Amino acid sequence: MSIPFSAAAAVAGIGATEFSKESGRSELQLSAEATLAALADAGLKPSDVDGLVTFTMDNSSEIALARELGMGDLRFFSRINYGGGAACATVQQAAMAVACGMADVVVAYRGFNERSGDRFGQVSKAAAAQVNTNGLDNAWTYPHGLSTPAATVAMQAQRYLHEYGATSADFGAVAVADRRHAAVNPAAFFYGKPITLEDHQNSRLIADPLRLLDCCQESDGAVAVVVTSTERARDLVQGAVPILAAAQGSAADQFVMTSYYRDDIGIPEMGVVGRDLWRQSGLTPADIATAVLYDHFTPYVLMQLEELGFCGRGEAPGFIADGAIELGGRLPLNTHGGQLGEAYIHGMNGIAEGVRQMRGTSVNQVDGAQHVLVTAGTGVPTSGLILGR
Amino acid sequence: MSTARDHDQIMARAEELIARGDTAPRAALDEVNVAMIRHWAEAMGDTDARWGGAEPVAPPAMAQVWTMYGLDPHRPDGDPLHATMQLLDEAGYTSVLGTNCDQTYARYLKPGERPAITTRLESVVGPKQTGVGEGYFVTTLNTWWVGEEAVATMTFRVLKFKPGTGRPSFDRTQTVRPVVNADTRFFFDGTAQGELRIQKCNACGVLRHPPGPVCPSCHAMDRGFVVASGRGTVYSFLVHHAPKVPGKVLPLPIALIELEEGVKMVGAVTGEGLEIGAPVRVVFDRIDEDLTLASWTLDDGEAPAVDSSAETAVASDLPTWSLPVTPTLVVSAALATRDFQDVHHDRDLAVQRGSKDIFLNILTTTGLVQKYVGDWAGTHARVAACALRLGAPAYPGDQIDFTGTIVSHTPAETIVDVVGTVSIGNHVTARVTLEREDSE
Repeated sequence: MSIPFSAAAAVAGIGATEFSKESGRSELQLSAEATLAALADAGLKPSDVDGLVTFTMDNSSEIALARELGMGDLRFFSRINYGGGAACATVQQAAMAVACGMADVVVAYRGFNERSGDRFGQVSKAAAAQVNTNGLDNAWTYPHGLSTPAATVAMQAQRYLHEYGATSADFGAVAVADRRHAAVNPAAFFYGKPITLEDHQNSRLIADPLRLLDCCQESDGAVAVVVTSTERARDLVQGAVPILAAAQGSAADQFVMTSYYRDDIGIPEMGVVGRDLWRQSGLTPADIATAVLYDHFTPYVLMQLEELGFCGRGEAPGFIADGAIELGGRLPLNTHGGQLGEAYIHGMNGIAEGVRQMRGTSVNQVDGAQHVLVTAGTGVPTSGLILGR
Repeated sequence: MSTARDHDQIMARAEELIARGDTAPRAALDEVNVAMIRHWAEAMGDTDARWGGAEPVAPPAMAQVWTMYGLDPHRPDGDPLHATMQLLDEAGYTSVLGTNCDQTYARYLKPGERPAITTRLESVVGPKQTGVGEGYFVTTLNTWWVGEEAVATMTFRVLKFKPGTGRPSFDRTQTVRPVVNADTRFFFDGTAQGELRIQKCNACGVLRHPPGPVCPSCHAMDRGFVVASGRGTVYSFLVHHAPKVPGKVLPLPIALIELEEGVKMVGAVTGEGLEIGAPVRVVFDRIDEDLTLASWTLDDGEAPAVDSSAETAVASDLPTWSLPVTPTLVVSAALATRDFQDVHHDRDLAVQRGSKDIFLNILTTTGLVQKYVGDWAGTHARVAACALRLGAPAYPGDQIDFTGTIVSHTPAETIVDVVGTVSIGNHVTARVTLEREDSE
C-alpha cells in the first residue's frame, strides 16, 4: 500500500554541465546551464517554471537563477540544509509542492566550483567559526584536528571494521564497482579509467583507515532536475519518471558528520529515510533492482545497505562480495560511476542517473529495473527517493 | 634514515653495555660544601633557610651536581651513557635532548659528605620518529652513595637524534578555535584550569557531552558539571594524514574516548599502542592563553587530575609563579649546576647545533620545580621524589609559568603535579612527592 503522495509528481527532465576540475565560469552560470538543459530535456521553457529548490549551501539564490533565465513569477522556493544530505530532499520539496498544488513546474538545482573554488575536502576554518549551533558543534572536533569529511568518516569506519570484522578491501569493493561503471560513462571524469582492488589497497592513506580511493572526487559542475505532475509529465518529451517515495531523515542525538555520542555510532538517520521510503511506496528491498547510494566515502555505502534493509547490520561485506554491486550482480550500485567515478555534484548527479535507469537510457542499464532507490549525503541529516517507471 | 645494519650494530653494542651492569663508584670531585650550595641557591633564586645557617643541608636537586664531570672533556672509559652517546654519534645521531629525569632522595646531604655515583645503562630504544627527528631513547639508572648508603637515585632518559630529520616547524597557535557560548564556556574554562568537566543536570543527575542548555532527559535548565577522573578507553580512532590541518603535526591520531563516567569525547591522542579498547588518560594541551585542549595519552601513569571522590583530596592549586628566562639565569644556573654543555652558555654554538638560542639545562629545571614546590610547602616538607618530563625548551626572552595541582594529601605525604609552560608549550611536567619531616 502506498500513500497518496506516491507517484503524484514525476521527474520530467534532467540536465547537467560537463563535470570537470575547473569549469572556468561562475557557479551561477553552471546552474543556469544545467537548468536550461533540464528544461530542454523535458520540452519546457524557463517561463513554465514557478518553483525553485536548492541546497542551503548553494551559492546561487533562487531569485538570481530566475533572473538569469528570465523566469517570471515564482510561487515556491525552498532550501534544504545539511550539505549533501539535501540532494534527494530538494526533489522531495519539489514533488510535495507539485502534489499539493503549490506549484506546477519546480526545478531542483545544485551548481558549484567545488574543485577550482572552495574545496570541501580541505579544512574549513569558516565552518568552525560559524556563530550558530553548527559552529558550536564543530567546537568539539575541529580544534583537535578532526576537521575534514574524510577524517570524520574514518572515525566511524574504524569502529565498523572493529565491530564486524570488515576490512579495507570491503571498502575497496565499492570503489572498484564505481570505477568500473564510470569507465564506460563518457560523462564521467574517470571515463576509461577502471581500477583494481590492488590499486585501492596501494592508494595512499588520507585518514587511516580511509585511503585516497575510498574518497570521492572534488568536482566543478551543476545538475538540475525538473519536477511536475506525473499526469503532465506523461505528455512531455521524455515522459514521466514518477516519484514513488521521497523522505528525509534525522535520528536521535544527530550531528553533522560527527554523531559520535550515540550508543552506536552508525548512520540511523538513513534507517529513518529507508523506513519511510518503504512506507510511502509500499515496496520492499526485494523490489529494487538498482540503487544509487551516496558515495562520498566508501564505508557509508556498506552502512547504507544495512540501514536500508538490503542486508542485516554488519552483513554488507558479505552482501557486496563477488561483484554483487557491479553491473550483472544482484544489486548494481551507482551505475553512472558514483561520486568516486563520475563526479561529486553533491548527490544530484545520482538522482539524474536514477532517472536514466527508469528511462532505460543509462550507459550501464540494468535490465528490467522497475524501481530505483537513490540516497543523499550520509553522516548528516539526509534524504532518499524511490523512482519508478 | 639509518640502515638496518646500523641499527643491528647499535643494539648489539647496547646489549653489551647493558650486560655490564653498574659501573664502579666514581667519587665526587668535591665534598658537599656550602660555597657550591650558595652559588646554586643564588642562581636558582632559592631562599630556603635550610640551605644556610648553622647546620645547612644541600638541596636535593643538587644530587647530580656533586658528581658532574665539569669542564674537563675527558670521560672515563667505563661510563655507559658516554659510550652509548659515542656509539650513536658515529651512526649520525649527533644531537641530544633530555626527555625524562626521575629522581628519588633517601635523605638530604650534609657538607663534608662526599657522594659517589654508580651508573648502569638500562635501555636503548629506537629508532623512533619524533618531532625533532629520528632517534634512540637512551635510559640510564644512576645511584649516589655515601659509603654503603644509597642516598639518591636518578633514572635519566635522553633522546639522541639526527638533526634535520624532524617534522617541519609549524605554528600551534594556528589551531582552529572553538566557538564558545554560555552553554559551553564551563568546559573550556575547565581545561584552562586542568579540569576535564562533564555537564551534569542538577535536577536529575544525567551526565552529557557535548553539553547544551537543556537536559534532554528531564528538560530542566539547571546545568552543572562534574570533574571527570580523566580516564577512559578508546572507542574508535583514526590517523589523519592529509590534507594539512592548521596548527597540527601530521600524521595526527585522533580518538573518540569513552570516559569512565560514560560519556564520549573527541581528542588528539599520543603514545604507543593506539587501538580500540586501549586505556587512556587526559592531558591538557595548552595552545596559548586562550585555549587549552583536552587531549589523551596512551602512556602508563597516574592520571594527573584530582580525584574528587577521595576523602584526602585537597582541591586547591599552588599559587602560580612566573619566572622570566634571562641569559643570566640560563648561564649562571648552568654553571652553578656544573653543567658546561655549550648549548647552555654559548649562543653561537647552540644555534649551530640547531637550537634557536641557549636554553635552560635540566638540572636547573629540576631545581626550579623543587624551589616552586618548596616555597609553597615550607621547610617541614622534604622532597622524597621528583619525576620530570621535559618538553619545549626555555629560551632567554621567554617566561616560565609554573602551576601546581595537589594530586593527593595525607598527613605523611603530599603529591603535587607541576606544569611549567613557556610560549611554545609545556617546558616541564613534573610530579613531586613531599614527606613531612616531623611525621616519622
